[in-house]
Amino acid sequence: MKRAATTGLAALTAVGVALALGACSSPTETEADGPLTVWVMGDSGANFEALVADSGIDVEVVAVPWDAIDEKLTTAVASGSGPDILQIGLSKLATFAEAGALLPLDDVIGDYPNLDPANFPAGVSGAATAVGGEIVSVPWTSDTRVLFTRTDILAENGIDAPPATWDELREAAKTLAARGDGQYGYYIPQWDAPLPIEMTWSMGGEVVDADGNVDFDTPEFQDAVDLYTGLYADGSVPTNGDFDQTQGFVSGVAPMLVSGPYLGRGIADSAPELDGKWQASPLPAGDGGSISLFAGSNLGVWFNTDQKTTALELLDYVSAPEQQLAWYDLTGELPTASAALEDSELNSDPNVKVYTDQLATAKVLPIVAGWDGIVGTELLNALNAIVLTGADRDASLEAFYAKIDGLAVK
Amino acid sequence: MRSRLAPYLFVSPAMVLLVTFGIVPILVAAVISTTNMNISAFASWDNVDFVGADNYVALFADADFWQALGNTGLFAIVGVPAIVLVSLFVAILLNRSQSRFFRALRAFYFIPAITAIVAISLIWGYLYNTQFGLLNYGLSLVGIEQVQWLSDPWLSKFSVALVAVWRGTGLNIIIFLAALQSVPKEYLEAAALDGAGEARTTFSVTIPLLRFAIFFVAVTTTIAWLQFFDEPFVLTDGGPLGATTSVSIFLYKEGFRLNQFGYASAGSIVLFVIIAVITLIQLRLRRADDEY
Repeated sequence: MKRAATTGLAALTAVGVALALGACSSPTETEADGPLTVWVMGDSGANFEALVADSGIDVEVVAVPWDAIDEKLTTAVASGSGPDILQIGLSKLATFAEAGALLPLDDVIGDYPNLDPANFPAGVSGAATAVGGEIVSVPWTSDTRVLFTRTDILAENGIDAPPATWDELREAAKTLAARGDGQYGYYIPQWDAPLPIEMTWSMGGEVVDADGNVDFDTPEFQDAVDLYTGLYADGSVPTNGDFDQTQGFVSGVAPMLVSGPYLGRGIADSAPELDGKWQASPLPAGDGGSISLFAGSNLGVWFNTDQKTTALELLDYVSAPEQQLAWYDLTGELPTASAALEDSELNSDPNVKVYTDQLATAKVLPIVAGWDGIVGTELLNALNAIVLTGADRDASLEAFYAKIDGLAVK
Repeated sequence: MRSRLAPYLFVSPAMVLLVTFGIVPILVAAVISTTNMNISAFASWDNVDFVGADNYVALFADADFWQALGNTGLFAIVGVPAIVLVSLFVAILLNRSQSRFFRALRAFYFIPAITAIVAISLIWGYLYNTQFGLLNYGLSLVGIEQVQWLSDPWLSKFSVALVAVWRGTGLNIIIFLAALQSVPKEYLEAAALDGAGEARTTFSVTIPLLRFAIFFVAVTTTIAWLQFFDEPFVLTDGGPLGATTSVSIFLYKEGFRLNQFGYASAGSIVLFVIIAVITLIQLRLRRADDEY
C-alpha cells in the first residue's frame, strides 16, 4: 500500500513537471498572425487606433500611463513577453536599449522610404538617437517647452508683451505676485527636471562636456540656479507640491508658465472662454539665446517580436508626413518628419508656429541610461531642498555633483 | 503504515505554496543582493557580477536609506499604538449594544479597510489639496490660512499616517469585537456584583482578558507598518523630498524605477531581518507573560 502511494506520488510529480516544461514555448521562425500589440503612452490609445484604421494593419493598443512605464518595461523584459511596437520617451531611450528591449534597425531601415533618417531633423534622427552606435528607434512625436502667458492679466498689470528674457520674466513675475495674497507670477513645477537644464542652455552652457561626461559644475549652471532660487526668493512661485498648473493658469493664480504643446491643447479644451487671452511665446532667452528642450517620443520594435515585417510596415505607415499631421490633429502632439513640421497649414496657428520655430534650435537631453531617475531626480532634490527647505546651496549642489559623478553618454 | 504518508500529503499543497512564494524568493533575493544586477542583466547574463557585501556597505552609507529607516521607525512608533488604542476604544464602544444601528456601524468602520487604495488616494488627495481641497476650504471659512497638508515635510507625515490609521483600524476593530464577545459574562456580572462601575470593569476585567487579542493586533500591525507602502506611495510618492519615504518605497524606487535590483535586494534583506528581530522580541515578551 505504501509502495503504491509513493509510486502514485512520484508519477504525479513527473506529470506536473512535464506539463510545466511543456508550457514553455519556443520562438517560432515564421511570422505570426494576429493584431500587433502597440504600447502607446498616456491616454492616446484610442487615437492611435483611429490613426492606423486605414493602414490595413490590425493593431491592439495598450495604454501605458507615463509614471508606470519603468515598472512595465522591467516586467516585460524580465518575462520576455512584450509588445510588438512601443512608444519610447526620449529620456528613457537609453534605459530601454540597455535592457536589450529594442530591435536594432540598421539593416532594415533602408527598405522603408519613410524611415530614412534624412526625413527627420538632425537633432533627433539617425546617429543623434542611436545607442551604442545602433539605430534602435525611429522619431515619432516631438515636444518642446515654450512660455505660456495670460496676456490679459499681464496687460492689466502694465506688461504689454510676454517677457523675452529671463530677467524680464523675473521682473514680471514679481509684479504679478504683488497682485495679492495667494497670487503668484510664475509657476515652477517641482517635477520639471528639464527646466533648470533649459535655463543652463539658454545661459550658453552645456550639461555634457567635450568628452561626453555629464558635468553640471559650470558657471552657466550656477547662473541657472541663481535664477531658479531667485524666483522662489522673490515669492513669485507657489511652494506647495500639489499645485495644478492648468487650473492655476486658467484661474489666473499663476499666469505665466513654461510648458509644452499639451498644455496649449489642455487649455483650449478645458477653457475655451479664454481664447485670445493667452498665447505661447518663445522660451525666454539668456546670454546664449532661447534654447529649449527637444523632447518627444520615438517608436521602436520589441527585440523578440514575432511579427517583425508587419511591425516595420506599421512604422513606415505612421512616419509618413500625412500620418504625422493626422496624429497632430488627433492629439496635438507635434510631428517629427521635417516635411510635416514645415507644413503651411500646421503653421497657420500662431501658437504652433512658436512651437515649430522653437524646435529648430531645441536640444535633446543627453542619451544616458537612467537620466530621469538619477540626474533628473537628484537635480530636483538638490534644487527643491534649497528652495523649499532652505538647505545650504553649496552643500546641496556638491552632494548633487557627487551623486551624478561618472555618468557619460554612451 | 498508510497513515504515515497521509499527513504529509495533506500538508504538502500549502507547504509547496509557502516554499515557492515565501521561502524561495527570500533566498533568491539574498543571492541577488550579492551581485550588481540591474536592467542590463536582461540583455545578457554576463552583465551581472558578484560583488559580495558591497551593496550592503553602500546601503548603510546612503543617506536616503537612513532617512527611509527613520521615517519607517517614526511611522511604526506613532502608528501602531494609535491603531491599537483607537481600534480597542471603538470596539469596546461598539460592543455595548447588539442593535441594528450598532451592527451597521461595524460595517461603516470596516469599509475603509476594504476600499481600493487607489480610490482612497484619489479622494484624500483632493481633500488635502492646498489650493482646491475641501479641508483647506473649511479652514478658510473659519479664517485659518492654507495648510500645506502634503507639501510640508512634517505635516505630510501626519497626513499620510492619518489616512493609514483610518484604513488600518477596520480589520482590527472586527478582531477586537470577536475577542470582546468571548469574554465570559460571569466575570462581568461578578464585577458588577462587587460594585465596580463601567470604567473600572473595562479596565480591570475586560482589557486584561483581551491580552491575546491585543498581542495579536500589535504584532500584525507592527509587521504591516514596518512595510508601510500604500498610503505614502499614492498620496505623495515618497513625499516632499523623501519626507514620507518608508523603506518599502525606497526599495520599490531603487528596484523598479532605477532598476538597481542587486541594491534593492540588499535593502529588502535588511528590512526582513529588522522585521524578524522585532517580531521575535515581541514574541519573547509575550512568553514572559504566560498566563491566560
